Amino acid sequence: MAETNSQFPRSLKGVRESLGQQSGSNRALLLMAPLLAFELLVFVVPFFILLRISFAEESSDLVYAEGTWTLEAYSSVLTSDLIWSIVGYSFLLGIVVTVLSVLIGLFYAYAIWRSTGLLKSLLLFSVVLPLLTTLVIRTYAFNPLLSPSGTLNELLLSLGLISSPIQFVPGTVGVVVGQLYIVLPYAVLAIYSVLATMDWHVVEAARDLGASRPRSVLEVVVPQAMPGVIVAAVISFAWSVGAYAAPDLLSGNITFAMQVEGLMLSDMRYPLAAAFSVLMLLLMLVSIAIMFTLLNRIGGEFELA
Amino acid sequence: MSSSLRREPLETAAFRAGYLTLLALMLLPLLVVVVTSFSGTGRLAFPPESYSLVWYGEFLDSVRWLDAFTNSIVIGVGTALVATLLGVMGAFGQEIDDGSLGTVLAPLVLIPLLIPPVILGITLLMYFNEVGLRGSYASIVLAHTLWATPLVYFVMRSVFSRFDWQQLDAAQDLGAGPVQSFVYVVLPNVKHGIFVGGLLAFIISLQEFVMALFLSTPSTETIPVLAWTEIRQALDPMVSVVSTFLIVISVVGILLAVVATNLEWLSKQLS
Repeated sequence: MAETNSQFPRSLKGVRESLGQQSGSNRALLLMAPLLAFELLVFVVPFFILLRISFAEESSDLVYAEGTWTLEAYSSVLTSDLIWSIVGYSFLLGIVVTVLSVLIGLFYAYAIWRSTGLLKSLLLFSVVLPLLTTLVIRTYAFNPLLSPSGTLNELLLSLGLISSPIQFVPGTVGVVVGQLYIVLPYAVLAIYSVLATMDWHVVEAARDLGASRPRSVLEVVVPQAMPGVIVAAVISFAWSVGAYAAPDLLSGNITFAMQVEGLMLSDMRYPLAAAFSVLMLLLMLVSIAIMFTLLNRIGGEFELA
Repeated sequence: MSSSLRREPLETAAFRAGYLTLLALMLLPLLVVVVTSFSGTGRLAFPPESYSLVWYGEFLDSVRWLDAFTNSIVIGVGTALVATLLGVMGAFGQEIDDGSLGTVLAPLVLIPLLIPPVILGITLLMYFNEVGLRGSYASIVLAHTLWATPLVYFVMRSVFSRFDWQQLDAAQDLGAGPVQSFVYVVLPNVKHGIFVGGLLAFIISLQEFVMALFLSTPSTETIPVLAWTEIRQALDPMVSVVSTFLIVISVVGILLAVVATNLEWLSKQLS
């Protein structure tokens, strides 16, 4: 070890010595500083710039007029019927997908928790693989499956269950299915990670005391899984309200994300896009706070991280 | 009692049918992608009318796809390096910290994951415009790092929390400096965690699409971005070929991570 020491350049040795003299707390600060600086520079500051641009005047030759202050962007966003109908549709999509994702997520997470061996690995794998596959792939695969000439319609037609093809895609059914497939893996894992720390004997005890199986799940498992359910609901909701790929590929309906993309990249109206984003973030924050309170009332206490 | 005895096998069967159906549905879209990549015709149908490798040949001949592939790898490796460095240092710092900075750090690192990627995309586009980074690899690497760092960070927090910190004290009592004791005592115990964290960061970056769509230019476009542009023009099996490569990379990644740790632990880190 003495040999490696002597190979250190002098400057590095100096750094090591000064590090050694500092108290543990200072060293910890030094280690956390790059991450903190990164979050400030690439996350916090950009959001202040977004906020600033949302108060700027539009400009005909530039994306926005520098140094100007106005509420114009907000007033045109808040008074536009089109914008409010888009907000309504985005939130509706968010709520439907969130409810489905939490219910199916609970069921699937419970199944993973109760299974063992190879089956458990397979079930976990079926969640992790889509999670680590790009959302573009996850979305477009529903096109050959759900389109009027797609696999599902052909199957239903050949079974004689329907007489003419149903148009799932493009349409709202397709968007809900596509978006559900995007958020479900997160919901399952969030709930499963809480269930995994739970003691099965508690459920057994409930059953020994005469609770039916569905009742033991509803009254013992669900309340304890509530922290996972809350995380699952927040992620599903935030991502579905802001859904971009699934609505674009699988339906003609415009969501907030598609509208804001158009404002930014095609129309170059930065203040308007910024104001719309700020409005959406605020609405989502309020909804998440309401959801949080409601779910917390059902289940136990929840602490972040 | 007798009625519940009769009901139980039925409930078990329904439960099993339920999760097996879900299992099939979870894997079906990915199966569709892989199978259609072997299509012999230009129409994207499942199951395909005929099978061939013709679209794989097309892929290997396409300069545009290969360029996008290179971009994806460059950005993925960049993201993995930056996110791993930041995440490991941050988590280690928090572990030996006795102040209150750590309690601010955890939520701050987590929040970007909860914000819709479109909002992050436009926010960062406006920001990189201001600071003159627009169109560079760095802009996409930084954006992806915002998403990959929480994963590395929480993986490392979980790994560090299982490490016996008395070993570090012992090393320092025996005269090892901070860097030395980290390299010889801590690192060997946590290197699997670092590997898995870096791997996850790489995969997240490789697959991320919305932020990359906003931030990339034709010369820096990644595979998912190009796939998106192509899909919107025409649905042909070429996209399935590319997607199959991405799925294979993810499967290999998961297997590597499982070899280093195990699937259950990995799954918990992802949530």
